[in-house]
Amino acid sequence: MPYPTTPDAPALDIRSLRFRYPDQSAGAWTVAVDALALRRGEQVLLTAGSGRGKSTLLHLIAGLMDPAEGDIRVAGESINRLPPRQRDLHRGRTIGMIFQTFNLLHGFSALENVMAAMMFSAIPPREHRPRALALLKHLGIDRPDADPDRLSVGQQQRVAVARAVACDPVLLLADEPTASLDPENASGAIELIRAVAREKNAALLCVSHDPAMKDHFERRITLEELAGNTPQPASA
Amino acid sequence: MALTDFTIVRRSITGRLFSSVVTIATVAVAVALMLVLISMRHAGRAAFERGSGNMHLIVSRDPSPLVAVLNGIFYANPPQRPIAWREYLAIIDRFPLEFAVPTQQGDSWRGYPVLATNTDFFTQFRPDPVTPWKCSSGRWFNKELEVVIGAAAARETGVRLGEKLVLTHGVSLSESAREAMLAAGQPVMEPHVHTEYQFEVVGILEPTGSAHDRALFISLESTWILHAHDRRVAENPSATLCTNADITEEDRKITGIYLRLPTRAGSDTPANLPVVFDQLRRDTSITVASPSKQIEQLFRIVSNIDQVFLGLAAVVLLSSGVGIMLALYNSMAQRRRQIAVLRVLGASRSRVLGLILTESAVLGLLGAITGVAVAFVGNQAVAAIMKARLGLLIQPTPPPEFVMPLILATVVLASLAGVVPGVMAYKTSVVRNLKPIG
Repeated sequence: MPYPTTPDAPALDIRSLRFRYPDQSAGAWTVAVDALALRRGEQVLLTAGSGRGKSTLLHLIAGLMDPAEGDIRVAGESINRLPPRQRDLHRGRTIGMIFQTFNLLHGFSALENVMAAMMFSAIPPREHRPRALALLKHLGIDRPDADPDRLSVGQQQRVAVARAVACDPVLLLADEPTASLDPENASGAIELIRAVAREKNAALLCVSHDPAMKDHFERRITLEELAGNTPQPASA
Repeated sequence: MALTDFTIVRRSITGRLFSSVVTIATVAVAVALMLVLISMRHAGRAAFERGSGNMHLIVSRDPSPLVAVLNGIFYANPPQRPIAWREYLAIIDRFPLEFAVPTQQGDSWRGYPVLATNTDFFTQFRPDPVTPWKCSSGRWFNKELEVVIGAAAARETGVRLGEKLVLTHGVSLSESAREAMLAAGQPVMEPHVHTEYQFEVVGILEPTGSAHDRALFISLESTWILHAHDRRVAENPSATLCTNADITEEDRKITGIYLRLPTRAGSDTPANLPVVFDQLRRDTSITVASPSKQIEQLFRIVSNIDQVFLGLAAVVLLSSGVGIMLALYNSMAQRRRQIAVLRVLGASRSRVLGLILTESAVLGLLGAITGVAVAFVGNQAVAAIMKARLGLLIQPTPPPEFVMPLILATVVLASLAGVVPGVMAYKTSVVRNLKPIG
C-alpha cells in the first residue's frame, strides 16, 4: 500500500540547500545543493571524493539532520519542515535506505528485518508477513527465518534491499551500497537495486566513490556540480 | 504475525539472557522478601486476633485493659485478683448476653497454664470466630478431675488420652527453664503440687493457631475443689480429700469472664456494645477490655518494628530498581545501532523511549511475578515449619490485598528505572550510529 503522496510531485526536490556542521568555519558549507530533482523511477548516481559530504546529503534528505538553509521535498512534502514525529513517519513511509554495512538488526531473522520496516507504515499488520516473505523470495532469499549473520554477504545485502523497499518507497537512498562487496558481486548488487527500484517505480539516488559504478547509471552528477558556484569546504 | 514493539522488547530481553535473568532474580528476591514480611506481619496479627475469637469483651480485675487481654487470653501471667462467683452472677444478670464464659487461672502443669472454665468455653466461645472447637481425640470434660489438653501442649509433652496428671498451684517451670535458672544461680520457687488429686486426660483438642493451644482445661469445680482442699488443710493438716460438697462460697472464685453480646444476623458488632462497655466500666473494681481494641493498640506499639522491616524490604526493592537501570544502561552501548536503524525505518524518538520503558516495566513485571511465586512457596514452607515446630497456624498465601498493589508498584518502579536509559535511547544520534564500524 503506497504512502499517499502529492500527485505528480517529484520524488525528490531540493532547492538552495546549505548545511554545515557546528564545528565548521563560517562561510564554508559541508553540503551545498542549489537544485536537485528526481522523478519517480529516475535513477541517479551521485559521486564525490571520500569525505565530501555525500552521506551527509543522504541524511539531510532522510530528515535525520536539519539543513541551515533551503528546502528538501520528498514526495511533495518538505521533510525538513515537518515536526519530528511526522518527519519520522514520512521517512518510514516514503524513503528506503540501503547502507554500506547493511545495518541489519541483530537477533532478528531476515524475515523480521523486513517486517521491522513495515512496523511504522500504514500497511495492515496481517499483510506484513506474506508481503515480506514474497519480497524475500523474489530477491532470492530461500531461508527467510535465518539469522542474517548466517547468510552470505550477498544475501545480507538482498535482505537490506528488501527491507528498504518493503513499504513501497517513493525514494530509495543507497549509501555506498557496494563498498563491502568484491567487484563481481558489486556489479550484481547494484543491478539488483536498480531493478527493484524500477519495479517499485521509486527514484534511486545512489552515492558512491567507486568509479566502476558509473557504468550502471545513465544520469551521473557530482556533488560539486550540484553546488554550482557555491564555495565548497576542503573536507567534510 | 507482524513484528510488534513487544517482539523487539522480548528479543532484547532474551538476547541478553544472563543479564535479564539476574535482573529479574534481583527484583524477585526483593518482592518475595517484602511479601514474606507482610505475610508474617499478618500472620502474627491473625494469631493474636484468633485468640480473642468471637468474644466482644473480657472482664477481670487486672490493673489495665491490655494486661487483662494479655493475661486472660494469651496466658501472659495468671491474674492475681479474683472475682467472686456472686459478682460474676451479678454482672451477667445486668445485660442480655449471648455467652458469659467464666475463667479461672492460677494452676499449671509442667509450665503449661491451666484454665478452669465451664463447657460453654468449648460450645459457645470460639478462638477463631469461624471455626468451632474440635477434639482430635476424646471429648470435653463433663465432671471434676477431668482435663482436656490443647493441641500444642499435647504434642510437646506427648501426653495421651487416659493418662493421669497432677496440677500445680502457681505456674511450675519447664525442665529446661528450671535448669537454666539453677545454672544462672537464680532461686527457683518450688511449686505447690496437688498430688492428692489425679486428673484424667479425657480430650485432646485440634489446633486453633491461638495461645489456647498451649493450655489445659478443667472444670471450675475441679479448681474450686483444689482451693477448698488447700483451705481445709490449712485449718486441719489431716483433712480428707474434698468433694463438691466441701466447696464454700469463699472457694467459688474466677479470674475472668469472656463476654459476647447478642448481634444482628450478618453483623458481628452488637449495637449496644458501647453502652454495655460504659456501664461495666462504672464499676471501678473491675477492668473491662475490648480485645480487638487492645490488640490494635498492641500492634500500634510494635508497628515501628514492622515499619523498619518493611522499610528494609523497600530499600531492597529500590536497589533492584537500580539493578534494572544499570542492566539497561549497560546494554545501551550495544543497542545504539539498533535504535538508529529503527529510527531510520520510521520509529519516532518517543517510540524508542517507549520501547526502553516497556522493557524495563516487563523486567519489573517478570521479577514481581517470580517474587510472588517465590513468596507463595516460601510462605508454604514457613507455614509448614511453624505448624510443625510451634503449632502456629499461618495463612500460607501472601495477603491478596497486598499482592496486586506490590506488583503494580514494582512495575512503576521498574518503569522509572528505565527513564535514564530511555532518555539515552531518545537522544541517540542516528547519523553517528549508522556509520560503518571500524
